[in-house]
Amino acid sequence: MTPFKLQIITPDGVFFDGMTDNVIVRTTVGDKGILAHHEPYVAAITISKFKVRIDGEFRYAAISSGVIKVSKDKTVILAQSCEWADEIDVERAVRAKQVAEERISTYEKTNDQKNLDIAEFKLKRALNRIEIAKLK
Amino acid sequence: MATGNMKDIKRRIKSVSSTRQITKAMELVASSKLRKAKQRSENGRPYFEAQYELLSEIASVKKDFSTIFTEPREVKNRLFIVIAGDRGLAGGFNSNILKFAVAAHKDDAEKPKIIAIGRKAVDYFEKHGYDVVGKYPYFAEKAKTGNCMDIAQIAVDLFAVGEVDEVELFYTAFVSPLVQTPESAKLLPIANIGEGTGEDNGLITYDPSPEAVFDRVVPKFVMSMISCAVVESFASEQGARRTAMESATDNADEMIANLSLVYNRARQEKITNEITEIVSGANALS
Repeated sequence: MTPFKLQIITPDGVFFDGMTDNVIVRTTVGDKGILAHHEPYVAAITISKFKVRIDGEFRYAAISSGVIKVSKDKTVILAQSCEWADEIDVERAVRAKQVAEERISTYEKTNDQKNLDIAEFKLKRALNRIEIAKLK
Repeated sequence: MATGNMKDIKRRIKSVSSTRQITKAMELVASSKLRKAKQRSENGRPYFEAQYELLSEIASVKKDFSTIFTEPREVKNRLFIVIAGDRGLAGGFNSNILKFAVAAHKDDAEKPKIIAIGRKAVDYFEKHGYDVVGKYPYFAEKAKTGNCMDIAQIAVDLFAVGEVDEVELFYTAFVSPLVQTPESAKLLPIANIGEGTGEDNGLITYDPSPEAVFDRVVPKFVMSMISCAVVESFASEQGARRTAMESATDNADEMIANLSLVYNRARQEKITNEITEIVSGANALS
């Protein structure tokens, strides 16, 4: 298939910059597959599994909320964080999951909606990482 | 000269050189931290730039485009996010940025709300009776972008419910390792969104809508602004500390040189005196 340029940029630097021929992301309105010559497109990405084909092989990555922007010459993904399945620190994710669960149970008692949202977001992210780490 | 004086000088040399050891060590620590901070600041730049580009592109798509984040309002309450250091001994670094922030609101009827980053900022604004809505001491050195999200969320929430009408960020720009200047940037409302590239105008599909994407990008944008500023301020702090400690070390060196000169002179004089005494004593006997 025709390859196209993909850039994944996180606050810690450029995570990926290279050629691919197929990208599958989960946006707020559903899964979306991007091939070469896709129409210009912008959407928000949720915490999810992210699939990209590089050199004929699919690679998986854990991505947390961001934005995808497809334009004529390249596709850019801006994400808060992004890790390949084999780079995920599972221990840390498990710890984060425990902490988030504890927090959720305390905030539920105090009815602290704002902190509850944050904790739920963190729990989602940790679960996503644990899930994807199994795919390596 | 008396021996008592010589003892004093010797003690002073000792104390100055132990101070010098400290300042020298601080200088070295600061310069190694500076290197790391510069690296971090460079890593964060592409994300920030890409985000800005995206934001301005969306903004340029629709002429009738407006969300709560772009509409200017009558400014009644302001929110200042002030980034200072955690420690002193960095020349004028802390006082410069704090003075700069205070000067920025001196014409306002009411004191702004404050989010203070860095212990020096927290201490200062608490002591002077500001409404400090967020305190982040000992934050900058290990700051992850995720932590900046919390700060961005506070700012965006306050802005969204109308408790503040303007959010301004105060940080110290890193011009060069020797020059750092306090600066401010308006975060919200997003006023000066650029024209965008214009090539894709009207052709881009926004899923589900430009407004929805925009509202999602704005908190992220605020976050990356804050995180860039935190990293840059940290680099500035280290730069300022390095310069301050370098000149302190130089001063200590100069002081030690002067004191040793005085000490050696006194020692020589003492020896000369002793010889004169012995010789005259011997002469008297013979």
